[in-house]
Amino acid sequence: MVNPIYIFVIALFSAFLLPVIDKLGRKVTLGVFYLSLTAIFAVTLLWFRAFGEGALIENIFTAGSLPPFSINLRMGTIEAFIMLFVNFGALLGAIYLYGKLLENKVYALMLFLTLIMGVNGLIMTRDIFNIFVFLEITSISLYALIGIKQDARSLGAGFKYIIAGGLASAFLLLGIIYVYRITGNLNLDLIISENPLLLSKGGLIALFLVVVAFLIELKPWPANGWALDVYEAAEPGISAMVASLVAAGMVFVFYKFIPLLPHSWHGMLILFGMLTFVFSNLTGLKQKNARRLLGYSSIAQMGLLMAVLLLVRRFNDAMDIRYALSDIAAALFVNHFLAKAGLFWLSGIINKEKARDWSFNKQPVLVLLFAVFIFALVGLPPFPGFWAKWTLITKLAQYNMIGWIVPIIIGSLLEAAYLLRWFGATIKREQTEQVIIPRYKILPPLLAAIVLVIIFPSFAPYMTGMKTMFFFPLLAAAVLWLLDVMPERMRGMVMILILAAFGWYIYPLAKGIVLIFEFMFIAGGIVISLASLNSARPKQGYWEFLVMLIMSLALIPLAKSSMEFFLAWEFMTVSSWLLILRGKNGEKPALTYIMFSLGAALLILTAFALSFAETGELGLVLLSNLNIYAIPVYILLALGFLVKAAAMGVHIWLPGAYSEAEDEVTPIFAGMMSKISLWGFILLFGYMGNKVLGIFELPVLLGWIGVFTAFFGALMAVFQEDIKYLLAYSSMSQLGYMILSVSLLSHLGWTTALYMSVTHLFFKGMLFLAVAGIVSRIGTTKMYEMGGLIKKMPASFISVLIAIIAVSGVPPLSGFGGKWLLYTALIEKGWYLQAGLSFFAGAIAFLYLFRLIHTIFLGQLKARFREVKEASLWYIVPQFIFVGAIMAISMFPNLILKPIMAAVETQFPSHVNWDGYTVITALGYWNGNAVMMITMGVFMVPLIWLLVRVNMVQKVEQFNIVYAAERPDRPETTHFAYNFFAHYQKAIGFLVKEQITNFWNSVSEWFHSLSATFRHIYTGNGQTYALHIIIYIVVLYSLLGVK
Amino acid sequence: MEHGLLISIIYAFISLSVATIWGLLLGGIMMKVVARAHGRFGPPFWQPIIDIIKNNARRTSISHGIMYFLGPVFRIAGGMGTFLFIPFIYGSMVFGNFSFAGDLFLVMYFIFFGQLGMALGAGESGHPYSAIGVARGLSQMTAFELPFALSIISIVIQYGTLNITSIVAAQQGGILHWTLFTNPLATIAALIALQGMNMHNPFSIVIAPQEIPIGPPTEYHSNFLGLLQTNRGLFNIAKLALFMNLYFGGATNLFSMLIKTFGIYMITVIVGASFPRFRTEQSIRFFLGVPTVIGILAVLVTGYF
Amino acid sequence: MTIITILGFLLIIIGLWGMLTRKHLFRIILGFSIIDTGIHLVIVSLGYIKGRTAPIFDADLSPIDAINRIVDPIPSALVLTAIVIGLAVTALMLVYVIQMHRHKGSLEISDYEELKW
Repeated sequence: MVNPIYIFVIALFSAFLLPVIDKLGRKVTLGVFYLSLTAIFAVTLLWFRAFGEGALIENIFTAGSLPPFSINLRMGTIEAFIMLFVNFGALLGAIYLYGKLLENKVYALMLFLTLIMGVNGLIMTRDIFNIFVFLEITSISLYALIGIKQDARSLGAGFKYIIAGGLASAFLLLGIIYVYRITGNLNLDLIISENPLLLSKGGLIALFLVVVAFLIELKPWPANGWALDVYEAAEPGISAMVASLVAAGMVFVFYKFIPLLPHSWHGMLILFGMLTFVFSNLTGLKQKNARRLLGYSSIAQMGLLMAVLLLVRRFNDAMDIRYALSDIAAALFVNHFLAKAGLFWLSGIINKEKARDWSFNKQPVLVLLFAVFIFALVGLPPFPGFWAKWTLITKLAQYNMIGWIVPIIIGSLLEAAYLLRWFGATIKREQTEQVIIPRYKILPPLLAAIVLVIIFPSFAPYMTGMKTMFFFPLLAAAVLWLLDVMPERMRGMVMILILAAFGWYIYPLAKGIVLIFEFMFIAGGIVISLASLNSARPKQGYWEFLVMLIMSLALIPLAKSSMEFFLAWEFMTVSSWLLILRGKNGEKPALTYIMFSLGAALLILTAFALSFAETGELGLVLLSNLNIYAIPVYILLALGFLVKAAAMGVHIWLPGAYSEAEDEVTPIFAGMMSKISLWGFILLFGYMGNKVLGIFELPVLLGWIGVFTAFFGALMAVFQEDIKYLLAYSSMSQLGYMILSVSLLSHLGWTTALYMSVTHLFFKGMLFLAVAGIVSRIGTTKMYEMGGLIKKMPASFISVLIAIIAVSGVPPLSGFGGKWLLYTALIEKGWYLQAGLSFFAGAIAFLYLFRLIHTIFLGQLKARFREVKEASLWYIVPQFIFVGAIMAISMFPNLILKPIMAAVETQFPSHVNWDGYTVITALGYWNGNAVMMITMGVFMVPLIWLLVRVNMVQKVEQFNIVYAAERPDRPETTHFAYNFFAHYQKAIGFLVKEQITNFWNSVSEWFHSLSATFRHIYTGNGQTYALHIIIYIVVLYSLLGVK
Repeated sequence: MEHGLLISIIYAFISLSVATIWGLLLGGIMMKVVARAHGRFGPPFWQPIIDIIKNNARRTSISHGIMYFLGPVFRIAGGMGTFLFIPFIYGSMVFGNFSFAGDLFLVMYFIFFGQLGMALGAGESGHPYSAIGVARGLSQMTAFELPFALSIISIVIQYGTLNITSIVAAQQGGILHWTLFTNPLATIAALIALQGMNMHNPFSIVIAPQEIPIGPPTEYHSNFLGLLQTNRGLFNIAKLALFMNLYFGGATNLFSMLIKTFGIYMITVIVGASFPRFRTEQSIRFFLGVPTVIGILAVLVTGYF
Repeated sequence: MTIITILGFLLIIIGLWGMLTRKHLFRIILGFSIIDTGIHLVIVSLGYIKGRTAPIFDADLSPIDAINRIVDPIPSALVLTAIVIGLAVTALMLVYVIQMHRHKGSLEISDYEELKW
């Protein structure tokens, strides 16, 4: 094996050689330069491979003697791993800087090489004074490299950096000499094995000085203003290296010192790491400068990494520590290393200071890269950060360190907030000028992204034992993406075929209740997707996200382990978010949506982690065995699902998300995705049943939340002017009924929930598709701008008519079955007041439903819509498939009720009897078939009476009405539509003043103000920053209790 | 169904006819009483029947479209259906109707069928007063449905069934077995709600003469209006029959049915003659106030004590 | 703790004070140098053994009896390295200051605050 000392040899030798051969021309010099970097990378690669094949740790002793008389280097698995990335990053960074290196003096090349050498040295050396030397080599090279960009800002930043670095070095040097004084030794291994520092007087002070110096180098909050300035002002290529490989070196040095730290320090240091994670992300919220934003994120990630390195020490099993290091720390490291470097490189290519000036949505390469890096940083699957967070939170729960989960969740959400907001804004901003991409600049981020994607399996330990099908959504999306060359409709058909094949594949796996959900997702997905075929215009990303969404929805009920569940859940979250983002005004709603969804996901994750902690396994079945954590798990899961269901209080994401998503997607959200929360509750109640907290039975509480959701959702729908908002609130209301009925924990209750959920898919699918069709023709979603469209779009009218009759629960259509089941189930259970309130909510539904059909189809037709045509068949056909389904189950409720009841019977004993078409419960009975027949009968009689005399009927023109002796002016003034329920608003509108929206807005506002306050500590003054460092050291010193 | 389909249809036809005629006459009596209260002579009490005949005899009519055309059909189908799902006279073969098809909830929800269809038909006429009337009617409907629903829940708890026939059966055996006496709170809540349903003063905001001249049916005339007027009688009786069954012990024969429905209707007549009209939001608030509290009390008393 | 060590710490504190309070860039650098010097003094003082000589082999000091006659050689070696590094950093800082002055014409640290928050 190549002696790692050659890394230094190569670096130094070529560093000195370069100025000489530079006479031959810069191209030659650069050739040698890249060759040496490649050689260094090759050396580490060889070592890494060797360790992969089981090589032993290699110690290299210099000067031919053993420590303490020599400086020794170590090459072990971890060293090789870190160096592999460092040297890979170095090579990419050098390629990125090609342009700069070509035009600058040759010294830049030399500095680059010494910098790399320094970092390699920092990683390998085991001698503490040597650490100081390598630190200085690294720092000095870096200071000089920062200064290469000759402008006042980067020079100022560099100077501040030198002051901070100088201070850190000073403390390090003092610490080292005292460590030597006390131990008589400079070799880290010998000091660790004897560790006299902990015993002797002053030993801890010496150790403190050494450690705090490296903490400063890790840029802890709040003593890190100088680092932010450098990130912002330096050449992005250099910032990338500071954020990735220099940070890697510093972290690793810190890691080396961990065994020396007394246990009493761990807690405080973890706290400081977490504080950095949370507050850096908090401060990042207000940041507008792209690179400084990345700086905040980098600092936060380093804080997290530091905390994690210490946290894993608390695991009492040596194997666990090993695995935690590779599964959490290494994954976080790689994730951040590649993503952050990539983003800095990207920022150099875009070359726009303000984050809000970024726009490149016409250049797919940039979009893709940006997406990969941002998603990786946020910790979305399949990137290593996702698995790392999963493992971290599970392990923390397992080792009873639940408290630490809180800052991780808060910090992650804050980070997601600004990163995803940035992503959304950038993707949505119309690109006005072409971004020029030099080939050498795009190569490094491209490679980083590719590595991020292909290495994820090595950081996904829980994938073993997971079914491959849980990666199908990703695969299907990839396939469709590769088929981008196809005509758009063809791709859509391929997507539908994929769905059908997937349905066929999973059909044998689904039974009972699961089968009902699979039916909704796959069959519903296929039918609704038909509408998207209406346009042949290319839709970037549309089919990919759609197939991903539908498949992940279908996978969630099939999940057997919490890992599978969570992975599919996250796929669903991401794909639905991207679909909302595609909408024309999707930017803000998408952000609200993703924030709530991620919050919910983290709650669910924590619940699963607690379950894992207690049972030691990931199986969802084990939820039923929970004992200690039963209540917290129950509450966390319920909260997570409530957010997803948009229950009262956490519903504010829903109207925007549904309304601003593209019209063809909304039915999938409302009809299908919303049901996943119902599945969540079925899972929760199915495994955990009823739980009592204090005097409250939790399902009763959930039931009340459900009924209030139903009530307020309906009431808010009444006052909407925008049709999609109206339907969105209506969906919220319907979900409320489902939560209510599933919380009943009875046979009838669950039957109700499932019955409603299937019928809701049908009629919400119809309504949203009808709306999509109408909007596609008239181009507005404001109801009062419509009117009289019945004559232009009769098919859409019929579909909407059937749908609103079904939604409202008026017999003879299937909706009545839902109402009947609901009230029967509620009264059977003794939930009387809930029944009363849901009845009221049901009555309110009439208001918005009538308004929906009236203001669109009835009343006066506007002049500008005189020429409007019926919606395209692509919209009408799926609607009429649903119409057919509704008519069928209205006529023969058995078709759907019997399988549902049979499925539910596996959970609860049934008290329902059947007599032909009559369902008989303890309370009442219902014969859907007879009702249908009778209704048709009584309908026919007067109809015939009118038809007999139809000859005398004369059709009249639009304005031919009795109008109180006045002539109607214009359709606009005659169509009673705007503020339709003004008196209702006057009577009880005060109930739905936007208090909850205001609450969440003020939460957001509060975080932003906090962010604005905290970031004022970064005054920009180098001396203030130095003072921060001194104060930080003093505070940490006193908090650690060093004496 | 113990007897054949044809027999049922014939029975249903008889039952419907009796109900319609009685309902129309009750409406006429109402007009007469109000007129006398105003100090007028008033029309004859069979005037509604004359009106229907007159309207159906018109030689021309105009239509604003298919939904407009179907509106009255929906309306009267709703009235017929509602009525047919209620057992009219307890124990009677002829007046047993089609109550085998569903229970109390079916009746409550079928009430909406006609209203919805009518609202749609009126909507297509394009007359703003129609839409205003519908908006008012729906708003008021949500409000009075709340105390009514609470009252229903209370009596369902009380009798442990949703089956109207069983509820009537449970009230047999003397006047003190009536819900009116066994569950007065529920009865009061429901009776107040009934005033809203009947849409006479002070809850006449839907047709609101002088304000939005007759509201939803503004554009209806000739045989369309005839159907609507027929329904007014039938639907009236359907409601009264429901109340009679639920709160007043039902009827075991035609005569007691006539007495009881007349009595219940007289409440509306007296209230209607005594009060002026509410404004829409006042009406909504009224129903959501005291009647709702009474309804909640009724549920609490029967359900939890 | 010898008087030299104390002196060293005193210098460190003076240097720190200078670095934190002076506004002029050169004075900040001076403060930094004083800190460095102080640290160097501390290092040397810690390796000093009373009455012994410098660890330099020459005519007077043979390797054989060195063990009894010289001070601890390691701090001396360390301080040499530290001095070199300190020098390099100081030089770099001075270069920075020259460049900064060239771009902005100011030597006040408070004039380099446009990067903040």
